[in-house]
Amino acid sequence: MGDSPLPIIAAERLHKTYRIGHVRVSVLRGATLSVQDGEWVAVLGSSGSGKSTLLHVMGGLDRPDTNGGQVTFRGAPLSARSASSLDSYRCRDVGFIFQHYHLLPELNVVENAVLPCVVAQSGALSLSGSARFQATAMELLDQCGLTHRLAHRPAELSGGERQRVALVRALVNNPTVLLADEPTGNLDAANGAAILDLIAARHQLGLTIVMVTHDTAIAARADRVVHLVDGAVI
Amino acid sequence: MYPALLAGRYLRSRLIPLIAVGAVALSVALVVIVVSVMSGFLDALKNSGRSLLGDVIVSAPIGGFPYSDEFIAELRKHPEVADATALVDTLGLLRMPYPQGSRKEVVPVQVWAIEPLSFARVTNYKSDLYWQRGSDEKRATMQPDDPRLDLEESLLTQGETLTTNSGAPAIVIGMHVSVANERQRDGSYRPRYNWFLPGMQTVLTVVPVTEGGRVGEQRDRAFTIVNELQTGVYEIDKNRVFIPLAVGQELLRMDAAPVVDTTAEPNAQGQYPIIGTSPSRVSKVLVRARDGILPSELAVVVQSTLDDFSVRVDGDSGRMTRVPMNTRVLTWEQQLRDIIAPVEKEREMMRILFSIIYIVCAGLILSIFWAIVAEKTRDIGILRAVGASRTGILSTFLLYGFAIGTIGSLLGVAVAVVVVRNINGIHDAIGQDAPTASWVVSSGIAVALAILCVHALMRSQVLRTLLWGIGCMTFALIATGLFLHRGTLIWDPAVYYFVRIPDSIDWNTALYTALGGILFSVLGAAVPAAKAADTDPVEALRYG
Ligand SMILES: Nc1ncnc2c1ncn2[C@@H]1O[C@H](COP(=O)(O)OP(=O)(O)O)[C@@H](O)[C@H]1O
Ligand SMILES: [Mg+2]
Repeated sequence: MGDSPLPIIAAERLHKTYRIGHVRVSVLRGATLSVQDGEWVAVLGSSGSGKSTLLHVMGGLDRPDTNGGQVTFRGAPLSARSASSLDSYRCRDVGFIFQHYHLLPELNVVENAVLPCVVAQSGALSLSGSARFQATAMELLDQCGLTHRLAHRPAELSGGERQRVALVRALVNNPTVLLADEPTGNLDAANGAAILDLIAARHQLGLTIVMVTHDTAIAARADRVVHLVDGAVI
Repeated sequence: MYPALLAGRYLRSRLIPLIAVGAVALSVALVVIVVSVMSGFLDALKNSGRSLLGDVIVSAPIGGFPYSDEFIAELRKHPEVADATALVDTLGLLRMPYPQGSRKEVVPVQVWAIEPLSFARVTNYKSDLYWQRGSDEKRATMQPDDPRLDLEESLLTQGETLTTNSGAPAIVIGMHVSVANERQRDGSYRPRYNWFLPGMQTVLTVVPVTEGGRVGEQRDRAFTIVNELQTGVYEIDKNRVFIPLAVGQELLRMDAAPVVDTTAEPNAQGQYPIIGTSPSRVSKVLVRARDGILPSELAVVVQSTLDDFSVRVDGDSGRMTRVPMNTRVLTWEQQLRDIIAPVEKEREMMRILFSIIYIVCAGLILSIFWAIVAEKTRDIGILRAVGASRTGILSTFLLYGFAIGTIGSLLGVAVAVVVVRNINGIHDAIGQDAPTASWVVSSGIAVALAILCVHALMRSQVLRTLLWGIGCMTFALIATGLFLHRGTLIWDPAVYYFVRIPDSIDWNTALYTALGGILFSVLGAAVPAAKAADTDPVEALRYG
C-alpha cells in the first residue's frame, strides 16, 4: 500500500461506537480502506457487521468517534471541513444509492433525479432544475431506460425502476465517488443485474465505486473485494 | 430556492396542510368579522353623532341661552364655522293618531324645537326625512309596493320647513315613534294597517320649566304630522320629534316677554309697569365646522366666541339677561362620550380575547407540523444525503408554515369580506324559517349516507362504516336543526342603536389579523422545523 499513489478516498482506522442505554456497541474498530481513483471496491460483510455505518462515515453523513480515525477525500480529512463544505461534499463529490431507494414520494422521476442539482444550485427556478441539469439528467435517465416514466411518482414505479432513478440521482452531479449500500438488496436477480450493469458502465468511464454487500456473487463484479469482520477491514 | 419549491410541493400534495389552512382561515375570518362589525358599529355611532349634532354643541342649563341670534351671527363670522343653529329641547308626551276610537296611544318623546332650514345646514336633517320621492336611481331600486313611489311631493317641503301646506306649524316624528312603521328586509318601511301618519293630527304635551327651576302648567298643542325622520340610530328614531323653534319657545315660555316691575305701583288695570324685554332663549346651539376643520379646533373657536360674547352681554346694561355661566361647549364626541366609550372598550376587549385565537392557531400549526415532520423524517435524511444543509431543511419547513399562514390568512380575509358584506342578508335568513328544500335535501343526504354506512358494515369495512356513520349523523342533525329552526332575531335594534348591522370591513384589522395569522403560523412551524433541522440523517435513513 505504501507505494500506491494517493487514494481518492480513504478510511483511516475508523472507530464507531453506538450506545444503547448503558450498553456500548462497537461497530467499527479500526476499519481502514483506501480506494484509488477509478477503482471499484466491494466491501463484503454479514448483516450487522457495520457496512452501512462505514459507508455513512465515508460519505460524510455520519462522524467517527472522537479520536476514532478519519476519512480523507483527495488527501484532505473530512473532519477539517465546515458544515457547509461537508454539505457540498455530499452534494457534489460523492453520490449515494441505498438498498431502499430513498426517493422523495412527492416528486416525480425527473424531479427526484435532479434533486442534487436543485439543492446545489440554490437559484433553480423549478424542482425539475435548469435546462443544463435537465440535459444531463435526461441523458442518464435515457441510459437507464426511464424516458417513458419521467412524470411518474415513485409509488407508480417498480423496484428496479426506482433503483435506477436513485442511481441517476446519485450520478447527476457527476460525483467522483459512488457509495452504494446493497444496491441490489431489494431487487430480483434480473433487476439487480441491470443495476450492476449500469454501475459497471459508469465504472468503465472512470467512476470510483465503493459498494457494500453481503452477497459474494455481487461483490465479484468489483475490481477488489475486501471483508468487514469484527469492525475491521481485512 | 429548493426550500420554497419543496414547501410548495408538500403543500399541494397533502391533505393535512389543508386542515391547517382551514384552521388559520377560520380564525382570521372570525376576528375580522367580529372586529369589523364592532368597528362599523362604532363608526356608525360616530357618524350619526356628527350628522345628528353637528361638530360642536353649546349647551345651556335649564333656563336657556339668550340672544342666540346674535351669538350665531358672531359664530358665522369665523372662517372655521360653516353654520350654526339654535334649538330648544325638552321632554313631552305625544298623542298618536292611532288606534281608532277615543283612547289614543300616548308615547313619551324627546322634543327638539328647531329652526329647520339652518338645522338642515348643520345636521343631515333633510336627507334623514324618510318620506321623500328620492332620486331616479333610488326609485329604480324600490320595491313596486314601496309607498315612496307615489308620494305627495309636498311632504318633503313640509318636513323641511316644519310647516303644513296651509302655513300652520307642523311636527316631524322619528320613524320608530309610531309602531305602525314596519321595517322590510330591504330597509324600507310599510305602514301597518294603513296607518300612514303624514297628514294625520297629533297632540304634543310639554311642561315649561322656569329659569328658577319651577315647573309650570302643562301645555298641549295640536300638530299635523308632515314627515317622519330616519337617522338609523334606533334610540333617536324611537324618541325624537321636531317642531318649529318659535312654537317650542312659546310652549315652554322661553320666548321673548316683557319684564314688569312688581315693586312699582300697578296701574288702573292692575298691571305693573313694563321695564324691558326678556329675550327668547334656546337650550342648545349646534355648530358645524367647515370641511377640513376638526371638531376640537372648532370647539376652541366656539369657546372663545362664547367667552367674548358673555363679556359683551355682561357689560351691556341695556340687557335684561346674562349668558349663563355654566354654558358648556362640547364636541359631538364629548357629548356622546357615554355611549361611545363603552363600545370602544368592548372592541378592545374583543381584540384581546380573540388574540387567544392566534395561540390556538399556532398550537394547531405546531401539532400538525410535528406530525408532518415526523412523517417526513426519511425525506429529511434523503435531502441531507444529497447535500441539503440544516438551514435548507429549516427554511423548507418555515416556508411551509409561512405558505399555510399566508394562504389561510388570505382565505380568512376573503371569507370575512363575503360574510361582512352580506351580514344583513345572513341575519335576515337566520331570522326566517329554513326553506323546506334545505332540510329535505339534508335528510336525503343523511339517508344516502345511512345506506352507504350499512353497505360498508355488511362488508365489514370498519373505517368506512365509521366515516359514513358520522356523515349520516351530521346531516341528520343538520336536517333536524333546519326543520326545527324558527326565525330568531339576533340584532335587536333596541339594544344596538342601529337598524342595520354595519357591513363594511375594517381593513386595518384585516391587515393586522392576516399578518398575525402568518406570524403565528410561522411561529407554530418553527419548533417542528428546528426539530427537522436537527434530525440525524443517518437515523432518518436507517429507520425513517
Ligand atoms: N443508531 C444506532 N444505535 C445503536 N446501534 C446501531 C445504530 N446504528 C447501527 N447500529 C448497530 O450497528 C451495527 C451495524 O449496523 P450496520 O452498519 O447497519 O450494519 P450492516 O449495514 O452491515 O448490516 C448493527 O448491529 C446495528 O444494530
Ligand atoms: Mg446495511
